[in-house]
Amino acid sequence: MDSKLYLAENVLNERRPVTYRLLSRALKVHANRAKQILFEFHRNENAKKPQTVHATYVISGIQKAPDPAPTNGHADDEDEMIQSSPYLPSSMPNQDATSDSFRTASIVLAREEDLQDAKSTFQSISTIHVYSLQPTALPDLNVLVDANREISSTHGQDDPLECGKQWGMIQNRNVKRRTGARPPPPAAPAVKAPGAKASKPSTESTVPAKRPLQKEASPSKTEATKSDEPKSEPSAANSQTSKPSGKAAPAKQKGNLFSSFAKAKPKTKASAPAEPAASSAEDVVLDDASEEEAEELFPDSTDKVAAATRENRKEREDKLKKMMDEDDDDDEADDEEMPDADEEPREPTPAEQPPPSKPAELKEEVTVQGGRRRGKRQVMKKKTVKDEEGYLVTREEATWESFSEDEPVPKKKPAVNVPKAKAGKAAGQGNIMSFFGKK
Amino acid sequence: MAPDAENYTFLCPPSKEEQEQEPVYRTPSNYNPRLTFHLPAGAGRHYQQQYDDMYFLRLAKLKPTVEQVATDAWDGLTIAGEKVRRVDRVLDVRQGELCWVAGTVYMHLPMKPNILEDLTKENFTSAPPPLRTYTDPSDPSLTQIMLEDESGRLRLTGNFLQSTQLATGAIIAALGTENANGDFEVIDIKLPDLAPQLQRWNGNAPETGVEKGHGKIAFVSGLGITGTSGDTLALELLTDYLLGYTGYSGHGDNNSSLCSSKISRLVIAGNSLGASVIGDVASANFGEAAAKKAQPKKYGYDASAYNDAPITQLDNFLAEILPSIPVTLMPGEKDPANFSLPQQGIHRTMFPQARAYSAPPVRGDEKPEAGWFDSVTNPWDGDVEGWRLWGCSGQNVDDVLRYISIEGGNGSPDKDTDSDARVRIMEAMLRWRCGVPTAPDTIWSYPYQSDDPYVIESCPHIFFVGNQPQFKTATIEGDVPLRLDGDTDMTGTAESSDSARVRLLALPKFSETGELILVDTETLEVEVVRFGVFKGQEEQK
Repeated sequence: MDSKLYLAENVLNERRPVTYRLLSRALKVHANRAKQILFEFHRNENAKKPQTVHATYVISGIQKAPDPAPTNGHADDEDEMIQSSPYLPSSMPNQDATSDSFRTASIVLAREEDLQDAKSTFQSISTIHVYSLQPTALPDLNVLVDANREISSTHGQDDPLECGKQWGMIQNRNVKRRTGARPPPPAAPAVKAPGAKASKPSTESTVPAKRPLQKEASPSKTEATKSDEPKSEPSAANSQTSKPSGKAAPAKQKGNLFSSFAKAKPKTKASAPAEPAASSAEDVVLDDASEEEAEELFPDSTDKVAAATRENRKEREDKLKKMMDEDDDDDEADDEEMPDADEEPREPTPAEQPPPSKPAELKEEVTVQGGRRRGKRQVMKKKTVKDEEGYLVTREEATWESFSEDEPVPKKKPAVNVPKAKAGKAAGQGNIMSFFGKK
Repeated sequence: MAPDAENYTFLCPPSKEEQEQEPVYRTPSNYNPRLTFHLPAGAGRHYQQQYDDMYFLRLAKLKPTVEQVATDAWDGLTIAGEKVRRVDRVLDVRQGELCWVAGTVYMHLPMKPNILEDLTKENFTSAPPPLRTYTDPSDPSLTQIMLEDESGRLRLTGNFLQSTQLATGAIIAALGTENANGDFEVIDIKLPDLAPQLQRWNGNAPETGVEKGHGKIAFVSGLGITGTSGDTLALELLTDYLLGYTGYSGHGDNNSSLCSSKISRLVIAGNSLGASVIGDVASANFGEAAAKKAQPKKYGYDASAYNDAPITQLDNFLAEILPSIPVTLMPGEKDPANFSLPQQGIHRTMFPQARAYSAPPVRGDEKPEAGWFDSVTNPWDGDVEGWRLWGCSGQNVDDVLRYISIEGGNGSPDKDTDSDARVRIMEAMLRWRCGVPTAPDTIWSYPYQSDDPYVIESCPHIFFVGNQPQFKTATIEGDVPLRLDGDTDMTGTAESSDSARVRLLALPKFSETGELILVDTETLEVEVVRFGVFKGQEEQK
């Protein structure tokens, strides 16, 4: 590319600073030549129209001693080694450390406007060259750093070992570089990582977005699921083992199924929006926890590729959907979702499961018996008990509570019933009673 | 205002036809790093040991030397009619008897961090806050200096101590008497003095491959990259200079200091990353800690808490200069390496680009080969161009300085006094033959069990310390009179040299001074190249 054209485009049109190194890389010319090109451009443009192009210069040479002298007062005896014998009482080297004077060369970057001032601080100047050209005077020279960063981003592909000679870099015959993959250009890793990251949060946050994202399953996604699995398996195992094993095996199984059911819920909903039972409030709850749930979906797919995992999950979803049709007890599902303490064996709930269409939370049955209405409703009760190991365990339990409508009828029965339910040390008792009562 | 264009090569239009520029070649580097401070990896590194092994080893290594020095000086000495007697153990000192004894200095200072105090206060911090000094300037009497060996401790006293600098961990011999209080009145002390120094090249200089002429070793420390654009302009100029773009890269050697092709190696002595990064991240972590708990656990690093700009930029810098110049990189206090000394090299995975120039990973027990880009330990020693280098990123001097109350009081001490003191401490370290005397007392250290590598067994030619406030250099000489049978490991070549000569370098922080230090490989003369931005009138306002 023609150098004038390049400079006109970048400096005059796009109004960017161009440093000699950027020019050298862009035009593939020697750095020294690039300095001269910049100088010429600067002179020609400003001859046409003053102040169109501003320059910064690098001055190298020996600076005059600034106010805080770089060498200290020992200049007189600098060559003389004052040797204190270590056998003197003062074993500490007050005198024998001779401060040497040293030459200080300076390489200073200065604006065009300050060039004369800057030069006047030098005792001798070995070179001055143009460092950069820019359309306006720079209030902050640090802008030039960004111009140089462009070198690595746009010209980072050039192998410095091959092109260095062209640029005027000092060559080294002994350089050792390991063979193998070229190091990635600086921008690449930065782009890659956010991409991989970005996909993950979105899976976490938005349920509908989940499916498309996973379908496009990028390699990074595969990795993510894989890396998730070590975690998911233990947690699944936990939910198994944390249950006291003595009680009701079927209930345990059921709990498990329900828990996975609950976890599958967001997905199922995406695919089967017709699902009736779940209220929107529930959805929010599920979404919050959905990351872990998504992980638990694949407890046994450790080594499978993403595609297989997806198939597997599909099957499971179908199964779960079926199961949901059979018995849809949201309370239970929600309960199972609670971590730790809630992992309690559920009392085998009696047969009177409500129809799926019923509102989820609390069920109510009202029977009229002997001229008065008696009702039972299922309520969630918090119970704190001390378990065998002496820990206090708080758990929520669904218990059946009897109540009576306020009717002018003899209150014998409720009086008996209510204390019983309240005292109800075991929910099962109440359940059985109600079971009989129903019959 | 157009500059006057007549004199300078580059202030002229380019010649019409592009002439072939002759490539400039860099002086080759002869490099042989030593693995003195290399710790075994993984399971080979144990932290169960007690630290007393280190003190024991140090004393065992240095006691014979210092006793030899003391014997030479004090044997047969009579003071006031009393003959000086040598005492083997600290506990054998008898009251009123003029004698001398060797041992380890232990200094009790009022502000010194004390693990037991921390524990009783139950505010156990992960890293002690940096103190300027451990001494209490208002009450110097709180400072107690003791001499200990395996038998016990002896409190040292006397006016003589006022005129000396000592620090915990140094091995000395003290001459004096025990007074009525049971304290040891010191009249004089002796140090091990400089270790035997090998000659350059250790007698086997490579015949070929070393071109005559003066090469240079470049030292820089405290690059302090923070990832913002503010700190990097000087770094850009440094890059340009090292690569030979700036300055005079022609063939005439009229201005050798600006001819960077003579620089055969760059040594970066610690703190390549700036402090603010770590501080920001730490505070960010602290603030977000509560919020984080609620969030689901994330894998990988969190971009909001971790700023990768500094290390990326350091990597860019290294990758830029490595094609032309070999680099030895030492970690520092603020770098991503372990905190306790010896800091192990910054891992190569931190440098996705520069790692291509590093040595291949070591398999098994092979001796790792020196990479073109060598990420080494701190402290570090090695041979560069035949000279033995011993360097640290600054923790050793900073810590010993806290043992010494600098005259000048509480405020910021005079810059010159301060850096003079630092150079004196550096010299003292060489004379103590211990590069990091205060480890493991007040510098965290790996609990060595079978060796104390901080003992300098072979005197370096260049002793450098990074991250000092101001550049300072000095040459010291040790003399070796009357020491004919002192050190058996002294080689013949060493004895043929008249005496040890050491170049001390207190390297400034580049981020503050913009200074690169060049040491001539033939004369060990020092030059400074300062990079900076001319503060124009606009900025001065």
